[in-house]
Amino acid sequence: MAFFAAMSPFIMIKESLNLGNTIIMKYLISISLFLILICPAISYSTAKEIKVTDFRGKELSFNKPVIRIVCLIESALSAIYMLGQEKNVIAVSTNVYTGDVFRYYAALDERIKNKTLPTPGNWDFVNIESVVALKPDVVIIWSKQTETIKSLEERGIPVFGVFINRFEDVYREIKELGKLTGSEKRANEIIRYNKNELNNFQKRIQKIPEAARKKAYFMWAQGNLNTSCRESSVNDLLLLAGCRNVCSSLPDEHIVVSMERIIKWNPDIIIMWQNAKTDPADIISDVRWRTINAVKQRMVYELPEVFLYDLWTLKFQYAVKMVAKWAYPEHFKDIDMGVERDRMLNALYYNKLKGSGL
Amino acid sequence: MNALYAKGLSFGYNGNRLLRDIYFEIKDRSFVVLLGRNGCGKSTLLKLMAGILKPQSGMIRVYGEDINAMSFSKRAKLVGFLAQSHNTVFPYSVQEVVITGRAPYIFYSHTKKDRQKAIEAMERVGIISLKDKSYNQLSGGERQLVMIARVLAQEPKIILFDEPLTFLDIYNQIQFFSLIRNLLSDNMTIIMVIHDLITALKLDADYIMLSGGGIAASGSKDIFTRENIRKVFNIDCDIDDKSGEYVLTPLQACRT
Amino acid sequence: MKKETLFYLLPLPLAFISIFIGPSETITPSDVYNWLYSKIFHGTPADSEHMQIVETVVFDIRLPRIITAFLVGAALTTSGASLQAMIRNPLVDPYLLGLSSGAAFGAALAMTSLNLPVQLSAFIFGLFAVGLTYFLAFRRGEISIISMILSGVIVSGIFTSFLTIIQFLTDPFKLQGIIYWIMGNLHNSSWNGVKSMTLPIIIGALWLFLIRWRLNVISLGDLETRTVGYNPALLKLMILIPATLIASASVAVAGIIGMVGLAVPHMIRMMIGYDNKRVIPVSFVFGGTFLLLVDNLSRTVSQFEIPIGIFTTLIGGPFFIYLLKRLRHGYGD
Repeated sequence: MAFFAAMSPFIMIKESLNLGNTIIMKYLISISLFLILICPAISYSTAKEIKVTDFRGKELSFNKPVIRIVCLIESALSAIYMLGQEKNVIAVSTNVYTGDVFRYYAALDERIKNKTLPTPGNWDFVNIESVVALKPDVVIIWSKQTETIKSLEERGIPVFGVFINRFEDVYREIKELGKLTGSEKRANEIIRYNKNELNNFQKRIQKIPEAARKKAYFMWAQGNLNTSCRESSVNDLLLLAGCRNVCSSLPDEHIVVSMERIIKWNPDIIIMWQNAKTDPADIISDVRWRTINAVKQRMVYELPEVFLYDLWTLKFQYAVKMVAKWAYPEHFKDIDMGVERDRMLNALYYNKLKGSGL
Repeated sequence: MNALYAKGLSFGYNGNRLLRDIYFEIKDRSFVVLLGRNGCGKSTLLKLMAGILKPQSGMIRVYGEDINAMSFSKRAKLVGFLAQSHNTVFPYSVQEVVITGRAPYIFYSHTKKDRQKAIEAMERVGIISLKDKSYNQLSGGERQLVMIARVLAQEPKIILFDEPLTFLDIYNQIQFFSLIRNLLSDNMTIIMVIHDLITALKLDADYIMLSGGGIAASGSKDIFTRENIRKVFNIDCDIDDKSGEYVLTPLQACRT
Repeated sequence: MKKETLFYLLPLPLAFISIFIGPSETITPSDVYNWLYSKIFHGTPADSEHMQIVETVVFDIRLPRIITAFLVGAALTTSGASLQAMIRNPLVDPYLLGLSSGAAFGAALAMTSLNLPVQLSAFIFGLFAVGLTYFLAFRRGEISIISMILSGVIVSGIFTSFLTIIQFLTDPFKLQGIIYWIMGNLHNSSWNGVKSMTLPIIIGALWLFLIRWRLNVISLGDLETRTVGYNPALLKLMILIPATLIASASVAVAGIIGMVGLAVPHMIRMMIGYDNKRVIPVSFVFGGTFLLLVDNLSRTVSQFEIPIGIFTTLIGGPFFIYLLKRLRHGYGD
C-alpha cells in the first residue's frame, strides 16, 4: 500500500512531462525525487503506534490496525460488525452458531451462514491450540477467563479482555475496538448515534411525573431470585427507562435475593431476561408472587431475544425503549418497536440486515 | 444320620483345580478336624461346607438337604461359620456384634429373646465383661471370642471353625477346647481346620487329611501313620505309641 | 429418658419457631403470631392487604421452605448413614455412587433439550447413574465394595463429562440455571417441590427404617452377612434402592447440598453410638433438624441468599471437628 502511495506522484509527473514546461518539470522532478527518497521516512513516522487499554487495565500496542481478530464474545463481535470490520474477523465464539443470534449473524456474514468461520471456543472453553494455529493479531475474550488469557499471552498472542458492567463500558469498548481496528471515525459516529437516540428519548422520559415512576424488579434466567443491583447495566437499563430498580440500595452486580425481600419491595413491574424455562405466565400464576403489585397488574414481561435486547452493545437503547413502553404504555403509544428496530439495525449494521426478513 | 455328606465335590479358582472329586460323610454330633499343608484346600473345603463357595461339580448335603438349594436363612440355622479373623470399620459394641448372630431369626429387628440369647452366648464364651466395650478396641484374641459368641448366638447345628486358635493365647485355647467339649455334649457337630499337627493330635476327634486335591486319609487317630504323615505333610516323624498316646516328633522336612 | 429422645422432641418446636424467622422487616414475628391466632381461633381469611402478605410469606414461602429443608436434611442424612454402613466406609456420601453428577446431567439436559421438568429429569438420571454403578460393580452374583466405589467414580466422571459437553454445545443462556442448581439451594422451595419429594422420601425412609438393623449385619462384612443368613448382594440392593430414592428426590428439588450426607451421620454416631437400629431414625429427625437450623441461620444472617451448602460446611464443619476431638474411640483399628 505504502509503495503505491509513493509511486503516484511519480506517475503524475510523467503525465505532466507531456505538457512541456521544462522548468516546472525539472522542479517537479527534483521534488518528486526528494519525495520518493523521504517517503519511506514519512510513512514510517505517520504509522504511529496504536495503543489500546483493555478491561483488565492492560495496555496493548500495535504498529498497525489489527487484521486477524479472533473474537470469542458475542457482544464484542457485534461491535466489530457495527464498526464494519467483519472482514478482519477470522474466528468467532461457538455460541454464535447456536441459539437466536445465529440467524442475525448468518444474515450479516456469508462465512457464518455457511459455518465456515472457525469457532475455537467461547466464554467458557477455549481451544488454545486452535487459536494459536490461526495466528491472530489479537484475541478478544471475556476478561475473567484468566487461565486462557495467561496461556495465550505466554504464547505471545495479544489478548484484549472485555468485561461490560455498565452502559458506559459499552462506549469505552467501542472506542477501544475502533482504535484497534483503525475505525475510530465509525466508532464515534455510532456512539453519537446511540447517545442521540437516548437523549431524545430521555426528554420524553422526563415528562413522566416522579410520582408515577414505577418500581422495577429485574429477573435473570438463573433463577427467579437472581437480580442485579445498583452498579450494573441492568440498573442503567431500568433507570434510563424511567423506572427505579427495587434493589438499588445494594451495590452488587449480581445477587440472589430472598423471596420475602421481593415481597417487601413490592415492584410495580417485573422485567425478565430471556428465560428458557420460566415465562411471565409462570410468575403470574405462582402463589408466592401473588401479593406483588406487578403480578396483580400483570406487568410481568420477558425480553424476547438476546440479539436485539442486549445490555452489552450499542443496541441497549432498544431494550431501554422496550422497557419504557412496557412500564408506561400510555406515554409511548406512538413508538412502534418494529420501526425502531429497523432504524436501529440499519444505523448500526450498515443496512445489512435490511430486507433479510428479521 | 449324617450331618454332612459330600459327593464328587470339585472346586478351583481361575481354572486351577484345588479340590478334585471329594467324597466324605460326617456323622451328626461328631468332632472332625481337617488337616493338611498350607494351600491344600482345607479352608476352601470348609467354605464349601458352609455354602459360602459353590462347588463346580458334585454336591454337599446338610442333614440330607442340598446346601446350595437352601435359603440363606435356613442354611444359617443349620451351619455356623467362623472365619480366621475379622475386622470392622464401625466401632460397634461387643453386644451389638454378637446379636447379629441372631440374624436368621430376625426380620426387622431383635427382640428381648434375641438379646437374651446373645447374653447367654457371651456368658458361655466368658466375655460378658466385654459386653459394652467397643469391638474395634479389642485384641485379636478377644475379637475371636466375640465372633465365637456370635456363632453360638446363631444356634446352628454344625459349627465350622477356620483356624480358631490363631489369635488365642494358651489360657484361651484351653478355655476354647473346654467350650468345644461343652458344645459336643450339647449334641452339636463341630468341624475345624487346624494346621498345627501337635495340637490336633491332642484332641479327641476324627480326622480328615487333605493332600493333592483329595482326601489322603480319614478316620480316627490310627490314620497318623508315618506314611500318611509323610504323604500329607511332607515330613519325617517318629511316633511313640507305647503309652497309648501318640507322641509325634517331627524330624526333618523331606526332600522332594 | 433415653439419650436420643431429645432428638425426636426437637423438630416440631423448631419448625414452629422457624415460621417466625425471616429476613423481611415488614413482617414481624407479631404479625405472624396475629395471623396464626386469627387463623386458628377465628378461622377468618386474611382480610387486610398486610395480612395477605403475611399469609403469603408464612404459608407459601416459609412453610414450604421449612418442610423442604427438613426433608432434604432428613433424606441426605439417612441416605448417607445407610450407604456408609453398606459400603463400610465412613467417607461415603450419597453422591459417591454417581447420583449427583447423574442428576446434574439430567437437570442440564432438561434445561436445554429435553422436554421434561428439571426435577423429574434430575431424579431419573440420578437413579439411572446409581443403577449403572451397581450394574458395573456386579460380578458373579457379588458386589465388591472396591468395585462399587470405583464404578461410582467412573460413572460420576462420565456424567460430569456429558454435562461439560452440554455446556459446550448449547446456548449458554439456556443453561444459566445449572450453576445455582449444582450449588444447591433452598430459596426456591415451593409447595410443588414439597409435593414431589414427600412421597419418595417417606417411602424410602420407611423402607430403610424397617431394615435398619440389617445395616449392622452388612457393615460387618459380606462373609459375616452371608454366614448369618442374609444374601449380601441382595441386601445391598435393598439398601441401595431406598437410599438412592430419597437422595435423588432431595437432589431433584434442592440441588446438590454438600456435607450433610457425609458429616451428619457421623455427628449422630458420635452422640448416640453406632447401632444403626438407633442411628437410622435419629438420622432422619436430626438430619432434618440440622438442615432446618442451618437454613434458619442462613435466612437471618445475610442480606441476600447464599447457597445453603456454604452454611452446612461452615456450621457443620466445626461441630464435626469438636465431636471428633471428643470421641474416645474411632473408626477402624
